[in-house]
Amino acid sequence: MAVKQINLRDGQRAERKLLVTVAEWEEPLDGTTGSEVVRELLGTRTEDSSIDYNADIQDSTDILGNNYTDVNKTQPTQAFDPFLILGGSRLGAYLNDIRRRNALSELTGAFTIYVITAFIGDETNGYEAEKHAESTITYESFGGDANVNFPITVHFSNKITTGKVDKIAADFVFTEDVSI
Amino acid sequence: MVDKNQAIIDFLMTCPKIASSSVFFNFLNAKDENKQIITQANDVSLNRKFVDGSVLRRYTFSIIDFRSVDYNPIPKNLPIPGTTTVTDYVSENVEELLDVQGIMDWITEQAEEQNYPDFGEGFEIDNMQTTSDNPNLNGVDTSVTPALAKYSMSIQIDYLDKTKSIWEDN
Repeated sequence: MAVKQINLRDGQRAERKLLVTVAEWEEPLDGTTGSEVVRELLGTRTEDSSIDYNADIQDSTDILGNNYTDVNKTQPTQAFDPFLILGGSRLGAYLNDIRRRNALSELTGAFTIYVITAFIGDETNGYEAEKHAESTITYESFGGDANVNFPITVHFSNKITTGKVDKIAADFVFTEDVSI
Repeated sequence: MVDKNQAIIDFLMTCPKIASSSVFFNFLNAKDENKQIITQANDVSLNRKFVDGSVLRRYTFSIIDFRSVDYNPIPKNLPIPGTTTVTDYVSENVEELLDVQGIMDWITEQAEEQNYPDFGEGFEIDNMQTTSDNPNLNGVDTSVTPALAKYSMSIQIDYLDKTKSIWEDN
C-alpha cells in the first residue's frame, strides 16, 4: 500500500490538534451485567503532550568504522499533565474510582487507544489512525494548586491495527486497513 | 454566536448596585452614581493553545463609577463625654468608596460561586477576577457641580474558546 501524503499545502505546519489521542474503555452499567463502551479525547487543558517512543537501541561499529544501530523495541508512552478533573469527564471519574479502590489491576490492558493523524486524510475519505489494543493508563499524582490535577500516562501496547476513522468525534467508526 | 459585550452587560445588570444606576457602555453622561462599562485591550494576549485545539482567551473590561465629592474635612474622633466611645462620623467620601467596593465584592462573590456571564455555546468561562482588591480613584471632575470622583475597577475573564477544537461534540 502506497504511503498516503500529508493533506496540507506545501510548507504548511500541521497544527497540534491534528494529532489526536482517544481513549476507549468499557464501563459497567448500573444494575445490569452489561457494559458500555466509552470514548474520550485526551488533551483537554493540556498545552504540550507527545508520544515518547522510548526506543531500546543497540549501537555497534565494525572494524571498518561503519556504525550499525539495532532497534530492539519501543515502549511508547504519552503523558498528559495537567489532566484536570473536569465536569463531564468520564475518564476522570473512571480513573478516580479505580484510584480510591486502589484497584490497579483494572488499569492494566483496560484501554484501547486510538492515535488519529488528522493531517493525513480528509472529511470525505476519513483520517488515518492506529489502534493500540489492551493499552494501559496510569495516574501519576492527585492534587495541585487551584484546580484538581490528576496527571496520567498512556502506555501503548504496540498491539497495533492500522486503519482510518470516518470523523473526529466520540462516535467515529474505525475501519481496519485491508492489505491486497 | 453570543456577543460577549452584551453578555457582560446582561451579567452586570444582575448586580443590584449596578442595576439601580444608569449604566452606559464605553460612552456616558457623567453624573453622580452613573456607571460606565469600558472594554479594554489586554496588556498581553493570553491565547494559550491546548492540544485539542481549544484556546484560553481573556476578556478585560473596566467599570467606572462616578460619585459626588464631599469637601468637608473628617472631624477628629473625640470621645463622647463620660464614655470611651468615639463619635461615629463617617465621611461621605468613605461611604461612597465603600459602596463602589461593594461592586467589586459582588464580582468576587460571583466568581467564587462560578456564576459567570454566558458567552454562549463553545465557550467556557474559566475564571473571573478583579485585578485589584480596591477601586482606583482616577481623579475628580471639578467642572461639574457637584464635583465628581471617578472610581474604576478592572475585571478579567479568562474563557476557553472551544470553537477551534478538533473534537466534534456529539
